[in-house]
Parts: sequence; C-alpha cells; structure tokens
Amino acid sequence: MPLERPQTVINSGKPAGKISIRNLGKSFSLGETKVTALTNVNLEVDAGEFICIVGPSGCGKTTLLRILAELEAPTQGEVLISRDNPAVPLSSMIFQESSIFPWMTIRNNVAYGLKLRNVPQTEIDRTVDHFMKLAGLDGFADAYPHQLSGGMKQRASVARAFSNDPEILLMDEPFAALDEQNKALLQEELLRIWSETQKTVVFITHSIDEALVLSDRVLVMSGRPGTLKAEFKVDFPRPRRVYDLKADPTFGKLGRDIWMLLREEVTGQ
Amino acid sequence: MIVSSNDMVRITADQDKTASPLSRLLRSDAFASIASPIVILLLWEALVRGHLLDARFFPAPSSVIVELITLIHSGQIFIDIAWTVSRVLIGTLLGAIPGLIFGVLLGLSPVIRMFVQPAISALYPIPKIALFPLVMMIFGIGDTSKWVIVGIAVFFQVFFSTLAGVVNIDKIYLDVASNFKASRWQTYRTIAIPGALPFIFTGLQLGLGMALIVVVIAENFGTQVGVGYMIWQSWQVFEVRDMYVGLIVVAFLGYCFQLLLLRLQRAVIPWKKAGGT
Ligand SMILES: Nc1ncnc2c1ncn2[C@@H]1O[C@H](COP(=O)(O)OP(=O)(O)O)[C@@H](O)[C@H]1O
Ligand SMILES: [Mg+2]
Repeated sequence: MPLERPQTVINSGKPAGKISIRNLGKSFSLGETKVTALTNVNLEVDAGEFICIVGPSGCGKTTLLRILAELEAPTQGEVLISRDNPAVPLSSMIFQESSIFPWMTIRNNVAYGLKLRNVPQTEIDRTVDHFMKLAGLDGFADAYPHQLSGGMKQRASVARAFSNDPEILLMDEPFAALDEQNKALLQEELLRIWSETQKTVVFITHSIDEALVLSDRVLVMSGRPGTLKAEFKVDFPRPRRVYDLKADPTFGKLGRDIWMLLREEVTGQ
Repeated sequence: MIVSSNDMVRITADQDKTASPLSRLLRSDAFASIASPIVILLLWEALVRGHLLDARFFPAPSSVIVELITLIHSGQIFIDIAWTVSRVLIGTLLGAIPGLIFGVLLGLSPVIRMFVQPAISALYPIPKIALFPLVMMIFGIGDTSKWVIVGIAVFFQVFFSTLAGVVNIDKIYLDVASNFKASRWQTYRTIAIPGALPFIFTGLQLGLGMALIVVVIAENFGTQVGVGYMIWQSWQVFEVRDMYVGLIVVAFLGYCFQLLLLRLQRAVIPWKKAGGT
C-alpha cells in the first residue's frame, strides 16, 4: 500500500515478525543543513525476542527507538508492528534522560499508564506495589522525585514502563546511570519479567557486556548516518545469571569481536 | 567553625548558641525587617512635632493610629475592607479561570497560538484602567463593572504566565504522555496544568497586585463603600488622616493576599522545594 507520507504502520494483519523495519531512513533539518540520522535500516524482530542495539553515540539509536515508539515519523521506508493483544498498550518507552514527572509522587508516576486507562484502583495498587518493590523503591511511594537520587528516578521510570504492561518494551540505555549492583539486579529482574511475560524487547546500550548478558541478538550500528552493520547471535542458555555469564570464556570472545567492530566505527578506521 | 593554621585545618560545629540573647536579636531577620520602618516612623513623628514637616500633608503617625483605632471601633473600616476584598476576589476568579484555560489551550496547540496570540498581545499594552470608562458604559456603574475591570487585569497576567509555563514544560514529559497514549484532555490534566503551576502562581501573584491597583481606582466611581472609596473621599473632604488609614489598609491587604497565595502555593505544589522560585 503506497503511503503519502512515510510513517510507522501499526498492523493488525501479521507481518513476518513482531517488528519489521524496511529501508528506514530519517533526516532532520537543522536550519539550512540536513542531518541524516538513519539510513537504510532493515530489521526483523520476532515476537518475544530480546534484541540489543549497540553503536557509537550520535549514530541514531535514540531516533530509531523514537520511531518505533511512534514519537517520530520516518522520512524514508516504513515500520510495521503487529498488535497481538488489543487489551494492552503496544509499546512503552524508557527514555535515556530523566523522564519521571516531578509533580507526581513516585506511586502516581509508576501508576501513570494504568490510571490513563482507568484500570480499577485495586489492580493498580497491586501492580504498582509489585513493580516498585522490584525496582527497590519500597517506602518511597509517597516521595516526590526531587527527594530521590538519580538512580532511583531511573528505576522509577523502569517501573512505570513495566507496570504499563505493553507488548513491546523500548529501552534507551535505561541502566547506564546505575551503579554496578543495582544494574545487575535490574538486569536479572528484566530477564525474569521478560521470560515470564513473553514481551518483545528492543534494548539500547553502550555496554557490550550488558548486551551480551541480556539479549538473543546484538545488532551493531555504524556511525552517522546510522545503519545496521552486523549482527551477533547470543545463545547462552537461559535463565542467565549476570556474574556466571561473565565468567564464561565464550562471553569474552564474543565481546571482543563486537568491540573490534565498534572500535572501527568510533575511531573511524 | 573553621580554624586553619600552617599544619592543619580544623572544622568543628558552630558555637553560635553561646552568643548573648541581645546579639542574636539584633541579627535576626524579624528584627531587621521591622527596625527600619520603626526608625522612619519615629523620625517622621519627631519632624512633625518639631514643625519641620507639614502636618496637613504628612500627619503625625500617632494621629493616624488614633484615627485607625476610631475606625476600627466604629466598625466602618471592616465594611470597607469586606467590599474591596469581595470585588478583588470575584474579579480575580472572573479573570483567572479564562486566563488559565486559554493559556493551557494555546500553550499546547501551536496552531491556535498562531491565530489567537497576536490578538491578545495587541490588547495587552492597553493600560487596563483605561478600559474602565468603556466597561462602565457596557456594565453600568455598579459592582459588575468593577468585577469586570479587575477580571480583565487578572486575565492578562494569568494568561501570559500560564502560556509561558506550558510552553516551557520539558518536551520529554509530553513525549512520555504521548507514548502512554494520553488523550488531549489527559495531557492537559496530567502534564500541562501541573507542569505550568509554578508559572500560574506567578501570574496569580502579579494579577492580584494589579487587581488591587485597579479596584482602588475603580472605587472612585459609583460606590459609597470600599477602601478605594475611602481614600478618594478623604481627598475630597481633605481628611488626610483617613487617607493614610486607607493607604495602610491597602498595603496590608496586598500583604495578606501575597501571604495567602504563598500558603496556597505550598499546599498545591508540594513537589517544589521550599525557597525555590
Ligand atoms: N530533533 C532533532 N533535530 C535535529 N537533529 C536531531 C534530532 N534528534 C536527533 N538529531 C540528530 O540525529 C543524530 C542521532 O541522534 P540520536 O538518535 O540521539 O543518537 P544516539 O541515541 O545514537 O546517541 C544526532 O546527530 C543528532 O544530533
Ligand atoms: Mg541516545
């Protein structure tokens, strides 16, 4: 179907996988100059798959995620996303920068999506309590964001997306600002939730280790204009435990291969 | 307390508690804020008694206080205050509510903003009180015209502050709302209004200041009560002490309004750290 303007297409008839990205391109005009953020991106993501995208900063990772989240329209190509359960939201994004609402208590922040959908209060309470506990925010329900540390705020925005219960989680370097311990805990928690709920996850990170710990597949992006350059299958058995995995020799080898590739992009040689 | 010497720096708890009560009083904020007005009043009193200041224009503070007490005893002053306050409050509601609604609507919709804002901006520079004769022609010389002129003054302050507040909301919060599929109304309710509240309060603060100015002038017309009426009346009969009582009362009202607003702001914006702007 020819579209007048390229756009994200939410399809109820099934495309090949959960997400199909075809010849996607995006450029911004900054005054006179045109910045091409993405060019020729092609990707199929299966339902229930966990993929990680790594790439040098400024290569368009956030832009790609914002297109998947329907916050930005592509300038070329198309994206098809199939909807499997009309009762729940299609996707929730966890933003790279702090996005927790300063004017709501942590509880109301985490409950945001459910409240918008008029979910019964008892169910909201149950879900919100559950995810606040997982995110280590017990006892901060009635605090306001300015009373929390940066890491706690980021955990609150993770809890906000999880409790919204979407089919697809779009995560933009969500754990980058966290300390090692909290990061490992949340990674394991994310894996547990993912395995229980069969959500599709598109996860952006600048940490190769993180990508290997979490995903089924790591996609490496080139420098600007960003495009997908290579992909690595990650088939460590699940359930995975973060520190067991890091002790595995193939983990180090795979990490090194990805790093060699990324290094070319970062240094430009 | 920090004591530094060649080989070390010692940082210990402050020992200010041992300071004498007198030196603490002299340094307190409360003392500083009432000290200078008291000195000025004493000086003024002395100058009038020494016939260095013309008592026809600058009556001795003591005589103004006596007049104030008389007016309190007769109860007249409370009637005037009640009328002025009611005119300010009704007018403020009349102006603040549409100001808020238009501010939020225009703030979130660039298209409406493009069409409506030029019209509102063109009206803004007109001194509001200059519209009062027109308002009286339309609404008569009674209380309605006073509510309307106060409303107009408050509208502009609240409108422009709300607009600025909504436009200044970090775009990321609107992205979150959009990603969570918030409807237009939900976006107003959960993002635009709470996000702009600090600005809205600034608008209310400026608006109430304007309201007081406007009401005092407007009470020169078509009424026999109100603090403004009292000031104008005392000018006509050259009762200068009453005029001063009126000025004191107006200043006091302004102070009370701001105090009330500050309380309200603390209650409504609990996420703002105390002391912030
Ligand atoms: N709204 C925008 N307007 C103009 N340029 C943008 C905008 N958003 C992103 N860009 C540009 O697109 C490129 C990719 O940005 P981004 O997707 O944020 O990269 P990454 O997340 O990989 O660091 C950058 O050069 C950035 O300056
Ligand atoms: Mg980014």
